Amino acid sequence: MAVLEKATMLSIAEKAVEEALRKGAQEVEAYVYEGQATNIGIELGQISKSNRIIDRGIGIRIAINKAIGFAYTNVIDDSKAIETAVASALSAAKASKPDPDWKGLPQKKSYAPTEKTFDKKILELSSEELVNVAATMLDAAGQADKRVFPIEGGVGGGYVSHAVANSNGVEGFDGGTMVECSLATLAKEGGSVTPVCFEFDASREYNLDPTWVGKEAARLAVTALKTKSVETKSAKVIFTQFALQDLLSYTLINAIKADSVQRNQSPFKGKIGEKVASENLTIFDDGLFVGGLRTSVFDGEGVPHQKTAVIERGILKNFIYDNYSAKKEDKESTGNAARAGYLSTPNIDTTNFHLMPGAKTTDEMLAEVDDGLIVYYLQGAHSSNPVSGEFSVVATPAWKIKDGKITHSSRGVMLAGNVFEVLKNISVIGGNERQMGSMIAPWVQVENVRVIGK
Amino acid sequence: MRELLTKITDLATQKLGAQYAEARGQKLFKTSLTLKEERIEAAKQGIESGVAIRVLFNGAWGFASVGSLDSAILKSALSDACKMAKVASTKLRAPIKLASVKAISDRVVVKPKINPSEVQMEDKINTALAVNKTILSFDNRVKSCGLDYFDLTGTSVFVNSDGTSIEQDKLYVWSRITASAQSEGVFTFSREEIGSTAGYALFDQQPPEELGKKVAKRAIQQLNAKSVKGGKFPVVLGPNVVGVFVHEAFGHLAEADLALSGGVLANNLGKKIGSNLVTFYDDGTIEGSFGAFKYDDEGVASQKTLLIKDGVVAGLMHNRETAQKFGAEPTGNARAEDFHVEPIIRMRCTYMAPRDQTLEELVEGVKSGYYFKSFRGGQANLDGTFQVGIQEGYEIVDGEIGAPVRNASISGNTLETLHQVDGVGKDFQLDPGRCGKGQTAFIGDGGPHIRVKEMIVGGSA
Repeated sequence: MAVLEKATMLSIAEKAVEEALRKGAQEVEAYVYEGQATNIGIELGQISKSNRIIDRGIGIRIAINKAIGFAYTNVIDDSKAIETAVASALSAAKASKPDPDWKGLPQKKSYAPTEKTFDKKILELSSEELVNVAATMLDAAGQADKRVFPIEGGVGGGYVSHAVANSNGVEGFDGGTMVECSLATLAKEGGSVTPVCFEFDASREYNLDPTWVGKEAARLAVTALKTKSVETKSAKVIFTQFALQDLLSYTLINAIKADSVQRNQSPFKGKIGEKVASENLTIFDDGLFVGGLRTSVFDGEGVPHQKTAVIERGILKNFIYDNYSAKKEDKESTGNAARAGYLSTPNIDTTNFHLMPGAKTTDEMLAEVDDGLIVYYLQGAHSSNPVSGEFSVVATPAWKIKDGKITHSSRGVMLAGNVFEVLKNISVIGGNERQMGSMIAPWVQVENVRVIGK
Repeated sequence: MRELLTKITDLATQKLGAQYAEARGQKLFKTSLTLKEERIEAAKQGIESGVAIRVLFNGAWGFASVGSLDSAILKSALSDACKMAKVASTKLRAPIKLASVKAISDRVVVKPKINPSEVQMEDKINTALAVNKTILSFDNRVKSCGLDYFDLTGTSVFVNSDGTSIEQDKLYVWSRITASAQSEGVFTFSREEIGSTAGYALFDQQPPEELGKKVAKRAIQQLNAKSVKGGKFPVVLGPNVVGVFVHEAFGHLAEADLALSGGVLANNLGKKIGSNLVTFYDDGTIEGSFGAFKYDDEGVASQKTLLIKDGVVAGLMHNRETAQKFGAEPTGNARAEDFHVEPIIRMRCTYMAPRDQTLEELVEGVKSGYYFKSFRGGQANLDGTFQVGIQEGYEIVDGEIGAPVRNASISGNTLETLHQVDGVGKDFQLDPGRCGKGQTAFIGDGGPHIRVKEMIVGGSA
């Protein structure tokens, strides 16, 4: 992959800032993005697709009398296109209305370096090598059990860089790599088809285990074949990382965003310093986590990333802020301004949401459950009430644990409750943390989850 | 642009050895707004242009996307796509083939009554503000509201090595409005989406005040709602919930790529999987609807596709690749969000056909159950397990709609549930939506009111 140099990216951003100031902007920020990816795709159990995507662009945010305008273009090698985008951001700002709470763009701060976020080997990955990784993963799944059908998946390597410059002198560049392989499977026996099971591995450095992904995706599908109903009652439930991420993404994550708190959309409003979760729960938002999938030097506004305590031993410690929401409370941004590439203005989001691991192994966790369920995949978590935290989701499937052993799966089991009660009912936290998108977490066992059997 | 893209597809098949090649060039203009309460977070305008190139080489796909219309850059992207496809084809067991289609040459021009690109940003801002002002002044228990708006205009040119050459205008207007309310420790949330391919006149049909009132009212009403009891109940579903059920629980299973991936419909073609009252369509031809377009992103004309007739599976949604596998005709369901991504099988407007009952008749038959009017979200799995969250629901007691309930959801298995449909209304409503399948597609879904004999109802009680 031939990628844009730091100097090129920074110069595009700086020129846009100068152009906007010249044309009458009071404040301006330019965000330049480059993303490149090469993927090999698996469909219907065979390697049959490939793609190569190059995406670059610039987003320009302008303030005039506290009114904000934004424009973007994906043409960054032509100064005319950037001039047009600047003019467009200016006209948008003029059409908009002043925001009395706008207190300016971020000021310049020094940056700390990140570790293990770039690997030259990923930039140099050949299609042949990606095909081999995909074949290894497929073979591992196919050899595990005849009843398993790998349905889709892929292997991909990518590079993302961004440069930010603003009229307060902020100036930064950061680029990193990522590689990923994933496989979705299902198992068939007689007329019975299991729900789709899924496994993946992702890393910032070229360090994948496709054999494990293939085997594990196959194992999950096969164990989902034997199915029996479970009874309706309150039960112990072990949430693996997939399920935990789903459950928390639409509720807890929303509740800790400063913007939700300020807009009365968080049940955590006014609860800093109070106990909101079980004592064994500690969560950091850590934008500098070594090798983290969301680790980078600075956020979408050029504010340095940091490690922020969100919940410590069950006590709510901090909310996460971008510059705007922080200034509203005379605070400093926690470096949580996220961007969807060059297309969007910043919005508050987690970086690496790190739920700290406990000491128990997964075997120990399972062994200690006399009667309960373990769930990997949930369906419908996005229909949770984002404000109250109430959820009612389907486990696809749930696996029954009896006397410390997984005995069978059960389909169509609903789990219902309130995420903020779930946090208080966490009884065991595993030691098996792994990264999954913006979450780093182990397995978590929760008491008294309402289970609605079929 | 057509000449340039034709040169690329010619080069692919005549010089580089591709069996098939297509190029999709786009210029897209987008205006968007995000409002939180009465604050305009930013007024946004954007331009994107680029080309997607896809080749079939030795039976494997190669795809490349670049943000450029420069001939040298396109040639290099084409060469990447061919090389990668060649490498990918080395492990191929079943080479990909495409169903043949008639070559088409066309220019599709949209002529909306009001083109959003001709509406001033100030006017769009004032309309959005009017919605939010209505919500905030509706009741002092409303604590927050949000509005997202966008419009998309531009053109898409599609050329392939089979001789098809199409230039289509693109036009979408969409908005999502949310409100939250709070009282005595109860938090509620309500949302509404509107969308059209007929232009900005959407806001004449749905005036901002009406929209705002609808969203605010629902959030307030839920404050005093009871929690539902979990269990199996007879339910009456409103068109909005029927739509998401048809889309999520059935529609995805009828996408031929997912059917081939082990979905439960693959072995049920021609079989009866539902009650006689069940007839479903996926229709890309409803003018102005959010799922309408003339040609898909493989250059195939959109159509009205029958999926289930009187309970019997009649067809699937296809692209050229799956149509070839099933020996069927492509149905015009291959869609790509933009030039960054490949076309995949997507729904258009998916709905249940109405029959002859009134809502009163449907409810009359229920002694103790629920009426679910509006959904919050839905999801389904290939094995037919589905879940739909409800944002507006009521009890039904002795054949009458009663008190509101909150945070309910329905779930079950699609094939079992379709047999349970025992009443279908004569009304009809289509709602706009967005569907995620790795990329976003603008769709519509809907139907009449229906009654289901038994459904699993979950709640947080």
